[in-house]
Amino acid sequence: MDPIKLNIDGREVTTVKGKTVIQAAADEGVLIPHYCYHPKLTIAGNCRMCLVEIEKMPKLQIACNTQAMEGMVVKTQSPKVLDARRAVMEFLLINHPLDCPICDQAGECWLQDYYMKHDLMGSRFSENKVPSQKRYVFGPNVIFDAERCIKCTRCVRFLQEITQTEELTVLNRGDHSTIALFPGKVLDNPLSANVNDICPVGALTDRDFRFRVRVWYLSSTPSICPGCSTGCNIKVETYQNRIARFKPRINDAVNSHWICDEGRYCFHALTEVERLSEPLVRQEGGLVPTDWETALRAAFSGLSGAASLGGLISGRNTNEEAYLFRQLTKLLRPQSSVEVFYQERELSETAKILMSPDRSPNFRGARDVGVGTDGGMDAWLQQLIRNDFAGLYIVGEDLVAHFPDRADITTALKRLPFLVVQDTTLSATAQLAHVVLPATNFAEKDGTYTNRKGRVQRLRAALIAPPSALQDWEIFNRLITLAGEKAAYPSPQEIFQQIAAKIPAYNTLAYETIGELGVQLEG
Amino acid sequence: MSLEFTQQALRQFNEIVARYPKKDAAMLPVLYLARQEFGHLSAEVITYVAEIMDLPVARLYGVVTFYTMLSMEPIGRHHIQVCRTLPCALMGAEKITALLKAELGIQVGETTADGKFTLSEVECLASCGTAPMMQINDDYYESLSEDRVETILENLP
Amino acid sequence: MEKILLRNIEAKDSHTLAVYKSRGGYQAWEKVVKQLAPEQVTEEVKSSGLRGRGGAGFPTGMKWSFVPKDNPKPKYLICNADESEPGTFKDRILIERDPHAIVEGTMIAAYAIRCHTAFIYIRGEFAFGSRVLEKALEEAYTAGYLGKDILGSGYDLELIVHRGAGAYICGEETALISSLEGGKGWPKVKPPFPATHGLFGCPTVVNNVETLAALPWIIERGAAQYAALGTEKSKGTKLFSVSGHIQRPGVYELEMGYPLKSFLEEDCGGIPNGKKLKGVIPGGASMPVLRADEIEPVRLDYESVQQAGSLLGSGGVIVMDETTCMVKAAWNVARFFAHESCGQCTPCREGCHWMEKIFYRIENGQGTMKDLDLILSVSGNIMGNTICPFGDAAAMPAAAFIKKYRPEFEAHIEQQKCALLPL
Repeated sequence: MDPIKLNIDGREVTTVKGKTVIQAAADEGVLIPHYCYHPKLTIAGNCRMCLVEIEKMPKLQIACNTQAMEGMVVKTQSPKVLDARRAVMEFLLINHPLDCPICDQAGECWLQDYYMKHDLMGSRFSENKVPSQKRYVFGPNVIFDAERCIKCTRCVRFLQEITQTEELTVLNRGDHSTIALFPGKVLDNPLSANVNDICPVGALTDRDFRFRVRVWYLSSTPSICPGCSTGCNIKVETYQNRIARFKPRINDAVNSHWICDEGRYCFHALTEVERLSEPLVRQEGGLVPTDWETALRAAFSGLSGAASLGGLISGRNTNEEAYLFRQLTKLLRPQSSVEVFYQERELSETAKILMSPDRSPNFRGARDVGVGTDGGMDAWLQQLIRNDFAGLYIVGEDLVAHFPDRADITTALKRLPFLVVQDTTLSATAQLAHVVLPATNFAEKDGTYTNRKGRVQRLRAALIAPPSALQDWEIFNRLITLAGEKAAYPSPQEIFQQIAAKIPAYNTLAYETIGELGVQLEG
Repeated sequence: MSLEFTQQALRQFNEIVARYPKKDAAMLPVLYLARQEFGHLSAEVITYVAEIMDLPVARLYGVVTFYTMLSMEPIGRHHIQVCRTLPCALMGAEKITALLKAELGIQVGETTADGKFTLSEVECLASCGTAPMMQINDDYYESLSEDRVETILENLP
Repeated sequence: MEKILLRNIEAKDSHTLAVYKSRGGYQAWEKVVKQLAPEQVTEEVKSSGLRGRGGAGFPTGMKWSFVPKDNPKPKYLICNADESEPGTFKDRILIERDPHAIVEGTMIAAYAIRCHTAFIYIRGEFAFGSRVLEKALEEAYTAGYLGKDILGSGYDLELIVHRGAGAYICGEETALISSLEGGKGWPKVKPPFPATHGLFGCPTVVNNVETLAALPWIIERGAAQYAALGTEKSKGTKLFSVSGHIQRPGVYELEMGYPLKSFLEEDCGGIPNGKKLKGVIPGGASMPVLRADEIEPVRLDYESVQQAGSLLGSGGVIVMDETTCMVKAAWNVARFFAHESCGQCTPCREGCHWMEKIFYRIENGQGTMKDLDLILSVSGNIMGNTICPFGDAAAMPAAAFIKKYRPEFEAHIEQQKCALLPL
């Protein structure tokens, strides 16, 4: 990689051959305004917002398509450049509808942002704006407003180059150009909602998020998607302690700039359930509420007394939780059969760009820290059906709901002498339990996930758990204490330190080094 | 019943495609062939062409709506296209259009009820020296006068 | 002056191979394909000083030399027969009456860049013209001038006529390439340039009909004879299409440097009906208009017209007499560009329509004085900021009309209607 020196706004900048001016500038923290440029898409060069002045070139040049050259002198703030930016902004705004008060993009709109930063001129346009379609449903997750569109073609290029499904095109010519779907077609590929992310304005917006909450009220927490074991990096954006939406976080090692639609919206099913308000124990007639002390003693008593013990932890539980779960079950019964939930399904070619065939984001991490049997999930289910377990501890999964057509599984669950279910809600499986323990969901946890490819990434709590729930690792801690061991883990970080100490592959890892983008395990 | 080229049209299609280094380049001639075969480039026709060209239908959609000579709507038997750009305008193109509107009883962009005439205004047809002029389907009619226009209309089948 | 480009068109059946050959046609081609190396052809054309006749005036030989010789990809030569510049109809006359000159010229150019598949991209509206060209190609193939192992030289060349579908922008070479690739006529961002990355990403040269039609003569007679004509920097002859308020409209072939005033008054017969000249656009509607009082020193070559504040362009001479409302003329041209804008880039897509709307308002009596400087400002904001020269082509005439006829615009605004001022 040949290094090149150029000058940007009086600063000497070193970059490498092959980088464009916009990239070289961005690497130096100089953000040249742009719309159509996207680091993962081909160059369109149509917005003209990134025009910069380059010495020895008579016309302004677009920074996105100009190769950085040795000795180049670039000005991004000269009077000519500032004039050109104002000119482009003016052109973009003349036909733009005054939709800000009703447009979801407000607060994260590049027209607004650049107007405030680079324009601030009044309108000189006194003609009629070009009217066009509004509220046009492109697909289940994408809604289009043609009037707001600035024809940057990011969406068209995304669908041509990334998903390669090419649902959208630019229709017509001149100022009647508009983004369009062929009549009768739907934009519903598994990654469709990414076009809402990359649209710089409110032309393409998310239907799920529509009119939910103004973006400036959102708190954003970096985390990992709990949808599958790809482990896409996300931002969990919340308002009043509820998740409003997921947004992708850029991680070239995992998900680039994208997340799949299924992952994007999975928080609804995982968090919008009726939460257990207290622990429950089974007495004559059914499950009755009780206090934690009573519930935990009952759970410990039943599980430790069981002649054979099974355990199933969810793929959505963290490494820290899975590790403690394994410690606990080994304490209770050394030959306990403990698995992490794993089930595969078919994926289309487009889905495979990002998605993994399972819905267990941390199945790999759970296995790494000791959860798992030789026969895997299938063999473990066989054990359940054969009534091998006298006691069973299920964490975070509703087996009944996962296997609606398997009467044998439901029957086996019902026949269990002792069943403890730890979950966020009174699921169908929980209803069969002898003890029900209220726990937390993925958004309320701090911890780590290890994705399918062995990348250890940090989950961060974006929500405050309800007072009735305890963290899963906290519950395991208390049960371990009841088993006579002194639980010495006051936090997930400390648990992880144990993992690093005890699991060779994780030896060099620590929360500080995992950081925002995760660390790839070797081998 | 789904749309399909006849055997003969299919032969022509294959001939056309064979001329070009890449199949995509045959787009326009194939669209012309389809229009000839099926009357006009309806959504159904475009879907069929996308199939035989092995291209996403959205791409065809963008192409058809880009060009002035391609339309997804049916056109009358005689498509009268009057040039309206500067040299013709200087030589009285507006009067020709007004005359046609009156004679045919339609506005620019419309088709007569019997489907015989569609009236359009188009941009420069490279016949400026013989302005004003119009194109009807494939044929140029140049050096127009009001009388000539009437005669031309009368003689169209 | 001996006619070069128009030498055949008056002959009966000039479009047939038989007549073309009887008048010396295809001798140049035989010479090229049997005796000359591609580089020799390029050198000859360079020495002739031939410049692109589509409008840009770029030296043709130099353009060919940008094609990398050691590039393994196939090379493409495209004849640009998408003549759509308002006021221009010179290519059409060659297409319809001397198609073999175009075919032969295309072949010579293809040979020079080692191309084996060439195209003639002809505007869709030239239905008749494309039939004439197809027939001429058939004749050329039958005579063995095209196809495999041409005249035993070992050189293969296929030539295909490709009809467009109605878009002025497809006359811009990268838009033409996009269209030929099967897409919309969207110009491509440069770099890379067509010479290295053109049709299907391969080295491509696009030449205008008139440029190519000059090649047989240049090869036959030699570069020096061509270079002996014209001026120092604008060599040879050029076709001028004359239209509008003129006694004898039509296509004329003139030696470069011919004085504009005498051309209009003498060769073209002056303004009919005893009217006076008000303005003339020398190079097609994208070029700035020249006022009657500005044309005296102007000669029809690239340099002189540029010095006068306009451009020679395609040589589409549009003549306007004193009965012309310049506001309406400006609106007409603005409407043309608004209609033809491809819509890809922001300044052109939004700016062209904006200017059209303002001109329309002024023309219809709803203009304000601020509108004039507004148009100048919008025009200036488009110039130089677009993907392709279409933006400039739309911006220049808008500004020129206002600058040259400002008092008329102001009177039109004040009176809220057409206000033809005395010349």
